Amino acid sequence: MPVKNEFDVIVIGGGITGAGTARDCAMRGLRVLLIERQDIATGATGRNHGLLHSGARYAVKDSESAEECIRENKILRRIAANCVEDTGGLFITLPEDADSGFGLDYQATFLEACNRAGIEARAISPREAIEMEPSVNPSLIGAVVVPDGSVDPFRLCSANVTDAVLHGAKVLVYTEFLDFIREGDTILGVKVLDTRSGETAEYRAPVTVNAAGIWGHGVAEKAGVHIGMYPAKGALLVFGHRVNNVVINRCRKSADGDILVPGDSVTVIGTTSTKVPFEECDHMEVTPDEVRLLLREGCALCPALASTRILRAYAGVRPLVADDSDPTGRSISRGIVCLDHETRDGVKGFVSITGGKLMTYRLMAELATDAVCRKLGVHKSCTTAETPLPGSMNGRIESVSKRFEGKPTAGQKGAAGRQGDMVTKIHFETEADRQLVCECENVTLAEIKYAVKELGVRNLEDLRRRTRVGMGTCQGTLCIRRAAKALAEALGQPELADKLAADYLDERWKGMRAVGWGDTLREMEFMQRVYKYEKPYSYDEI
Amino acid sequence: MKFDVIIIGGGLAGMTAATALQTSGMRCAVVAEGLSLHNASRREFCAAGGTLLAGDRVVSGRFAGDRLVAVRTEKLGDIELEAENFVLATGKYFSRGLVADMDRVYEPLFGLDVDYDEDRSTWFDPSFAAPQKFLEFGVKSPGGLAVKDGAVIANLYPAGEVLAGLSSAQGDATAAIVKSATDAANAIGRK
Repeated sequence: MPVKNEFDVIVIGGGITGAGTARDCAMRGLRVLLIERQDIATGATGRNHGLLHSGARYAVKDSESAEECIRENKILRRIAANCVEDTGGLFITLPEDADSGFGLDYQATFLEACNRAGIEARAISPREAIEMEPSVNPSLIGAVVVPDGSVDPFRLCSANVTDAVLHGAKVLVYTEFLDFIREGDTILGVKVLDTRSGETAEYRAPVTVNAAGIWGHGVAEKAGVHIGMYPAKGALLVFGHRVNNVVINRCRKSADGDILVPGDSVTVIGTTSTKVPFEECDHMEVTPDEVRLLLREGCALCPALASTRILRAYAGVRPLVADDSDPTGRSISRGIVCLDHETRDGVKGFVSITGGKLMTYRLMAELATDAVCRKLGVHKSCTTAETPLPGSMNGRIESVSKRFEGKPTAGQKGAAGRQGDMVTKIHFETEADRQLVCECENVTLAEIKYAVKELGVRNLEDLRRRTRVGMGTCQGTLCIRRAAKALAEALGQPELADKLAADYLDERWKGMRAVGWGDTLREMEFMQRVYKYEKPYSYDEI
Repeated sequence: MKFDVIIIGGGLAGMTAATALQTSGMRCAVVAEGLSLHNASRREFCAAGGTLLAGDRVVSGRFAGDRLVAVRTEKLGDIELEAENFVLATGKYFSRGLVADMDRVYEPLFGLDVDYDEDRSTWFDPSFAAPQKFLEFGVKSPGGLAVKDGAVIANLYPAGEVLAGLSSAQGDATAAIVKSATDAANAIGRK
């Protein structure tokens, strides 16, 4: 009996690379299935700075990456306007940098390399730098302005998934890849597990794309091919308010903790880089040494951090790839790696897309989709660089906000900022719909209902990734029971509320434990008090 | 200015001890930052003739031998407040009765000896709902008296959540807090 393929391509991994690939494939008319073992953006996609690189950081050492970055930077500003904030960036030189060979001579080299890569960079005086960003270390001796920005990776990933679905893709979250369906040297599809129902299923397609980030190592092994991956853990700290409005980098050879990025209501410092065993990738904990290092370096960029409350710590794993030609695995590239396993390993119907970074996800998706199209004999060219994502189709927040009758409320403005032009699908009909559930981030009941209906939200972590609920200064302390109740009711399962809240608190607690001293510990005591003073997690008395 | 007893902190423990001591005829002053100072207990204490320094906080103490002699507050500057006895009811971390930094937990006013685990990895349980060890930390109080550098301070009585093993953040501890304050008041009254 001939095999009937329901799909043309199966994409494994719901991070930004998989989401981008699913979108690109769907836009080229392919029938796409995207599978993700947890929620979208749960791996490295949601665990980075959220920096919209200008590429300046790579200009001196890796001009190819630098050129890729600035090209994609300009594209993202166009197609993902609602996910990007044009903060601008500074590369500062401190007096101690001069002692280690990264003084103003290096700044000149840096400027030249930036301009060669097509990155608009110009040197300004320390005084001008302080005027541009008052929180910057005032002892700086030089600064360069570059077109850095910040990007909301959750929103970006969600927009790609939404657009893939609008173009006919099927997306299955909480669906874990178990194994390949294989016949001889050909991959015919995948066996998956629905982690919520416990049921297994099989899906077939002539091509499968491995876009599973660091977990792609294990996916490839199941196909009998080896990718020399190098799991590089990066730890980051989130601070309790937006300390800086401009991205601050250190103008020296890339090192730990030398980028400070403002994003929404907070500031993030990162990152470290440590090789970790594959087994640890699912259970990242930030160590005290990493926190110490990040704090020390962060304070060098911006002294006010020393007295700013740390909200939480988190870590992600970069899916770096060792050069195929280097058997020691020491030559690590941050570049994009697109592998056609038929030509490389003799395995048909299988492509891996890995390496790269958040900034270059669209290009990665383009390369992977090109490879898929070659295999399928499809001749359609990529249009993702010109086509705006949902949420970013009708300009920026200001124009979206004008769609509300009268003066938009804080919740409506917040929703417009997060959901962009999709905000028209949010129904602020009743007084209750307009009520704020999360006051730190201005999330309304209406937006929660929308996220459940349109964005596939199942738990509070999913909701946080779509709406920033509980991500602000109180870390959910004051809103999470309300949010849990609202979400459980929107899901039609009011009995779930206690469980949703408990799971969410454990996750927040994890991020706070790593930085549990000072004002963070005060917040932790307060949080314990709020939830445990009477009976823990009971709605009976509300 | 001299009092019989100065109570540092105007929460449940501080006001319980202060009201008991003032109504028993002693001349008391409460220094309270104000966050958890309840109107009802404030009225009762003031009606009994107590001195309330609301919105002020103790910044340092002067010791002589094994005794605390006087304290200074933020607002009174170099005017010292003297007393025969002192009650320390400053609470835990949130009210800054205890302060934790990366390496240690300390009592910030007088540098009193604190019971805590130096191994930070034991402070928290990964489950939010489980008991949390950091909430058990607090100042030592053998025989109800505070300890500084291993020596007992003969007239400084810690009460309420600043004490080791006493926290209302993990369940209702009202009874234990009131008892610790009453014990302190009784010990001072017996002197």
